[in-house]
Amino acid sequence: MKLILALIKRDLTLSLRQGGGIGTALGFFLSVVVLLPIGIGPDQALLARIAPGALWIALLLSVLLSADRIFQQDYEDGSLDIMTMGPVPFEMVALAKAVAHWLSTSLPLAIAAPLLGFLVNLEPSAILPLALAMMLGSIALSLLAAIGAAVTVGLRRGGLLVSILVLPLYVPVLIFGLSASQPGAAPGLTTASLLILGAIALVSLVVSPLASAAALRSYLK
Amino acid sequence: MQFLANPTRFLKIANAALPTVWAITIVLFAIGLYGALVTAPADYQQGETVRIMYVHVPAAWMALFVYTVMALASALALIFRHPLADVAAKTAAPIGAVFCFLSLATGSLWGKPMWGAWWVWDARLTSMFVLMLLYIGYMAIWAAIEEPHKAAMVARVVALVGFINIPIVKFSVDWWNSLHQPASVFRMGGPTIAGPMLWPLLVMGLAYTFLFLALHLTAMRAEIAARKIRQIQIAEIGDR
Amino acid sequence: MDFSANHAGFVIASYALSFVFLAGLIASTLIRDRRLRHELERLDTQRQKARS
Repeated sequence: MKLILALIKRDLTLSLRQGGGIGTALGFFLSVVVLLPIGIGPDQALLARIAPGALWIALLLSVLLSADRIFQQDYEDGSLDIMTMGPVPFEMVALAKAVAHWLSTSLPLAIAAPLLGFLVNLEPSAILPLALAMMLGSIALSLLAAIGAAVTVGLRRGGLLVSILVLPLYVPVLIFGLSASQPGAAPGLTTASLLILGAIALVSLVVSPLASAAALRSYLK
Repeated sequence: MQFLANPTRFLKIANAALPTVWAITIVLFAIGLYGALVTAPADYQQGETVRIMYVHVPAAWMALFVYTVMALASALALIFRHPLADVAAKTAAPIGAVFCFLSLATGSLWGKPMWGAWWVWDARLTSMFVLMLLYIGYMAIWAAIEEPHKAAMVARVVALVGFINIPIVKFSVDWWNSLHQPASVFRMGGPTIAGPMLWPLLVMGLAYTFLFLALHLTAMRAEIAARKIRQIQIAEIGDR
Repeated sequence: MDFSANHAGFVIASYALSFVFLAGLIASTLIRDRRLRHELERLDTQRQKARS
């Protein structure tokens, strides 16, 4: 457990020192949110209606964009090779890296996103539910992104492939995330959606380390 | 399954079975098409358009069935490490993708006169679309990784994760649909199909299944040959 | 099948599309199978000649 925490801490420090982690993702998030009203038109009522969906899609894309960094560097410099031989089960290594990605990228984005909602005329009453749903959903987003990153780690141009592989996995998160952040919805619906979002996060928590570790192992052998 | 794991034995059985399987496929298609185009009545609501069902529904069934075959083969490959199971999964994917594409395309052709639109974001269409993406992703992995052994191991993970994803997508899309969709959309088919319309559908379904079997066995045979060729070529380079 | 019915074009298009794609799939599968098995046979006889 100590070793796992050390791994997470190492990854967090690395992403903070190197920069480019959350900064790039946030910059990308902002560009999507700014481009959207330009593409759709400045109609305030229309923007307010699509604001939660737009923010969710921007969040998905930003997380996806940062996904290939989860394992890339440690794969290239050989650290992962050494970690397969270490005392920590390799599944736990994969999980630690996904958690580090969540803490360094997805969670900050999920917190920042509702605050940037004013750019797309998000209703103030929607900020809190959106923040809650995004924080919960971002867990699954990072875990699923880790699968995509692991599956393409040894490939030169894995970037596009990651999106094809991960986007189908993101569909349920997007649907329940949106359903949980609808401002006008009945309270029962919001709770149910949040619960299902939590269930998806739990399923990802089980599947992601197993799948990522299996995929990484085949590249390392 | 253990019995079939030996490639030589598999080839012997495939070679013996293929002519029969092709013959059954042709007979089933002949009967099914006759039923679909001649004996089946036009629907009182949809008119002749209902005949699209006989190519659309079997394609959709097969798209799901083939992905199941792929996932099962991948699971077997993961557990028992039989290379033949990887071959089975790899060769099933393009066939399943064609079925999936056909179900989407014929569904679109059916939707235009019925719904007045080429594409409707209906729950079933959306799940099918996601399935198509899963097929494309799986095939892309095989295409992107040069070394077959490595590609096989990664592809197993992709197939199985996708398989877990399918019911979750189905559930979420139904949920999403009930939130957004006005209930006025015309429901296709429905559970009650009369006998003269039902039997051609079932025969066509069986014909598609046998077509898949024939294609899959042939493609697996070809893939086994391709791997042997690769081995010989590598051995020759080693000899020099 | 009544070819003069409303929307008959859509029905014909569906069957034609299915036929074209399935025929293409069948043809490409058979051709690949033939090509690879002939290639394998050629390599096998070549190797046997080289050995003897």
